[in-house]
Amino acid sequence: MKKAMTASTPSTKASARRPSLSTITLYVVLSLGAIVMLTPLFQMIMTSFKTSGEALRVPPTLLPDRPTLEAYRTVLTQAPFGLWFRNSVLVAVSVTALILFTSSLAGYIFAKFKFPGRDLLFTLLLGTLMVPFPVVLIPIYLIVNNLHLLNTLFALIVPSTVSAFGIFLMRQFIAAIPDDLIDAARLDGASEFGIYWRLIRPQLGPAFGALGIFTFLSSRNDYLWPLIAINDQDKMTLPLALAFFNSSHATRYDLVMAAAVLIVLPVIAAFLFFQRQFINALVLSGMKG
Amino acid sequence: MSVPTASNIAAERAPTQRRKHAPGHGALMRFVALALTPIMLLFFIFAFLPIGVSIFLSFYRYSPLDMNAPFIGLRNYTFAFTKDPAFVTSLGNTLKYVLIAVPLNVVLTLPIALALNHIKRFKAFFRAVYFMPAITSLVAVVLVWRYLLDPQAGLINGALALVGLPGRAWLGEPEYALFAMILLSVWQDMGYNVIVFLAGLQTIPETFYEAAMVDGANGWQRFRHITLPLLSRTTLFVLVLTTISYMQVFVPMAIMTRGGPLNSTRTIVLHIWDQAFQYLKMGYASALSVVLLLMLLAITLIQLRLLRSNWEY
Repeated sequence: MKKAMTASTPSTKASARRPSLSTITLYVVLSLGAIVMLTPLFQMIMTSFKTSGEALRVPPTLLPDRPTLEAYRTVLTQAPFGLWFRNSVLVAVSVTALILFTSSLAGYIFAKFKFPGRDLLFTLLLGTLMVPFPVVLIPIYLIVNNLHLLNTLFALIVPSTVSAFGIFLMRQFIAAIPDDLIDAARLDGASEFGIYWRLIRPQLGPAFGALGIFTFLSSRNDYLWPLIAINDQDKMTLPLALAFFNSSHATRYDLVMAAAVLIVLPVIAAFLFFQRQFINALVLSGMKG
Repeated sequence: MSVPTASNIAAERAPTQRRKHAPGHGALMRFVALALTPIMLLFFIFAFLPIGVSIFLSFYRYSPLDMNAPFIGLRNYTFAFTKDPAFVTSLGNTLKYVLIAVPLNVVLTLPIALALNHIKRFKAFFRAVYFMPAITSLVAVVLVWRYLLDPQAGLINGALALVGLPGRAWLGEPEYALFAMILLSVWQDMGYNVIVFLAGLQTIPETFYEAAMVDGANGWQRFRHITLPLLSRTTLFVLVLTTISYMQVFVPMAIMTRGGPLNSTRTIVLHIWDQAFQYLKMGYASALSVVLLLMLLAITLIQLRLLRSNWEY
């Protein structure tokens, strides 16, 4: 309490004394930056309501002359958008659920059990974080090909069922759970898996939230791997489908922007609702370095 | 079995543990083995094995179309640097991209984070605005930018025309295409570093600034002698991660230019992808990916070393 008071006194004094000019400048600069950040998204949304002719007009217009939903109608009738959406959700949900499960189970074991080779194994796991995906792209393609999974949604799920970063994160989180709780459950006759499932798992809410959002977003936004693993139009996920749609409608900016809005809007809506969780998740995700 | 209470657990624990150690230990190890084996198997197949296979393939002339894959030693590597000018160009382009985009990113995101840390009102609003592109699908972003950069209908040339400046075919001219992609990338993931810097700034105790103000330090001096040194860990973190991620840039080039015009936007990962999946030269492409891995490891080590020496304050 005392600390908070001493902390607030100088700063309130300073802002009262100093001309608020510097603060106004800050707001002006931040607002100009905000305009730069929002203009592309604004242009995307506005163009999706334009006619194909207006989308190509020189000089370009900001607001549509006569707003129309024609682009959306065309996109939704000409392309299997529902199917692409379903594929994306299916893949992202499966990958997220699997990674949350494997990461928390392995994280629990690395945090709370002693066994021969544990530290070496964990170091090896962390070592894989140094290896970026493009480096292992070709072997993974060959392995998935050998498993006869190419051009199926399984190709997008199976290689992403475990995450070294996820295990690391969960291990940190679970290490803070007192051993006494686990010992008590064990004495009480709980099975080892029962302890994980009924005692550990329910306490991982915040960690699940962060890892879940991060995993879901990266799976949903992935482009490089689906580009290689998927050929058929009806197996595509949204980013791949969007690029594919663009390549066949390159000059129809109205259609491409409408398709982009359909893909981007659900994520932006979720972000605006769960801003804090999103930001925490993505900050945490950076910690994998 | 009686209901365990805190007291009877506490009373029982010490002797039980000693007595039961051997049989309990067996059950624990069984659980560890059962739970960990499938997970580690997946790791082996999709993480450890691929690294080995990549290095292994890099010594062979391997193509999935050709049954015959001779061992050729280091010739894939020597070929890359002596007989594949497109790869050397892609190295140069990637380095150019990183050397411009990473500093540009930090020079923009640190002041934004400082400003956001300073203001009291609309903080969450501005943070959300700057962060929004970072959660947006990169492919969607690239397609929006392709439209913004369109020589005729694009907003950028439209805005330039308003102030009387000539427009450009941004993606059609070798001098501008890579630069356009730098702007796109920085715009897209600036928000991420803003948030990281903001988190770093919030760990600096307010009392440091108060003490400095008592000593009569002005705003710049407080920034230079308190914020900057105490932020060096965060800055290191941002630099390493941004560099590693920008070294792998692929999506904007793959969608907008396919490396053109005149290979001016060909990057390392785009070249690897081209060699492996367009020309099916997978042994050669593996060698290129090993080169990329070594470069990333070297960059990480150098940046860690450089900034570690600055930590001793």
